[in-house]
Amino acid sequence: MTSMLQEFNAESALLAERVQRSLVRVESGRWGAGAGTIWHSEGLILTNSHVARSRRLRVSLPDGRRAAARLLARSRDLDLAALTVQLNDLPTIELGDSATLQPGHWVMAFGHPWGVQGAATAGVVIGQGGQLPESPEFGRDWLAVGLHYRPGHSGGPLVDFSGRLVGINTVMVGPDVGLAVPVHEIKRFLKHSLQRAAA
Amino acid sequence: MANVVEGISKELASIVEAAGPAVVRVEGRRRLPASGIVWSEGGIVVTAHHVVEREDRLSVGLADDQQVDAELVGRDPTTDLAVLRVEGVGLSPAAPAALDDLSVGHLVLALGRPGRTVQATLGIVSALGTSWRTAAGGTIDRYLQTDVVMYPGFSGGPLVNAEGKVLGLNTSALRGVSLSIPNSTVDRIVESILSHGKVQRGYLGVGVQPVKLPEALAEELGQETGLILISVEPGSPAEAGGLTLGDTLLSLHGDPVPRLDDLLSLLSSELVGEEVIVRVLRGGGVREQKVTIGERQ
Repeated sequence: MTSMLQEFNAESALLAERVQRSLVRVESGRWGAGAGTIWHSEGLILTNSHVARSRRLRVSLPDGRRAAARLLARSRDLDLAALTVQLNDLPTIELGDSATLQPGHWVMAFGHPWGVQGAATAGVVIGQGGQLPESPEFGRDWLAVGLHYRPGHSGGPLVDFSGRLVGINTVMVGPDVGLAVPVHEIKRFLKHSLQRAAA
Repeated sequence: MANVVEGISKELASIVEAAGPAVVRVEGRRRLPASGIVWSEGGIVVTAHHVVEREDRLSVGLADDQQVDAELVGRDPTTDLAVLRVEGVGLSPAAPAALDDLSVGHLVLALGRPGRTVQATLGIVSALGTSWRTAAGGTIDRYLQTDVVMYPGFSGGPLVNAEGKVLGLNTSALRGVSLSIPNSTVDRIVESILSHGKVQRGYLGVGVQPVKLPEALAEELGQETGLILISVEPGSPAEAGGLTLGDTLLSLHGDPVPRLDDLLSLLSSELVGEEVIVRVLRGGGVREQKVTIGERQ
């Protein structure tokens, strides 16, 4: 009995350590700071649109590196923003499959709640789709999770049991329920906005 | 790596998937729909009383996306339960589990279906106690409190254990915490509603106040207090049975009644119409009166 819980704890700690490497802090001038997630090793960082509000954005990494960030694309409707920094060899987060997530699946979220760097919260998937109660109605999918989002979690990674990214922490709806933008929506956003940026 | 975390994660999801078909959507109010449990054969669905705001035009949404009409068989506001019947579709009842093996600290899931798909929240058993009475006067067999999140529309859905079996029905209306009504209570209420259309409650027709018993008697009975009659309604079962103002009730049908709660719990549906022995303290002596329990209207 106990050994299984101990094993669970040990695995969770390893998983947290790995995911925290891809978690950054996004400073947005007078708007304060939020979290961000390293999507690509050559400097692509994902966060929420409501985190990246200032024109002067700075990103700090867990390894101490800091850099100014440029806003590459944003969508207020999706509440997503893509930033780039002039840094290389960033620890990319492994991508998961949000479409196969089911109610009851274990998830962990990372961010800087109330300024506490790299803090974790965990729970299970409540449900997902476009018709969840309390979700902002943008006609797209949300992922509802039973964990404790707090100010500062926004933009940070939501990962599955293997530490793979399944969403970006976005909205807290009450003390015990959060909404994340699922990774399949993020991919669609990136494809759409980066194509446009290239054109 | 990630063997246990992955294993537990997948097991939780498979519990939700397996128990999901017995969790239905209940459309009985204007706002967000709530949840219900397929309880027994014959299309019997239980849900929370407080989510059924109208008496007709009720419907139930099933796991296979069907939406079917439902009839309200009856409701019991005191335990926050309502019973619906769905005809013409073969519904498989939820698998129940007894509370005997449940402990504080055990993992449990709350399931709901306020939308098309089943949804879940996870928590642990916070408290597990003996029977208690709701503010509205209903008796719940066990006190079962958890820390699962009652997501909007989860009232009326099941609390399931680590084997995916149903422990009870979740409601957010009885107290400000996540409480479940255990299966045994749901069974009792469903049975009563199916046979009488409502839950019968016993009626005595007295007003009472707890009083200390004389020391010698208290020692003899092993009971510190009794209930003194401060009113007896004219024409009531108590009056017909010869109880008078100033009598102190000691026991009813062999069960001691030191507090009001004990008397109210005893006046359950089973005693309606029964002649029972009531022991009272009158003029310094203990006597027995035969009283036929009436039905509270």
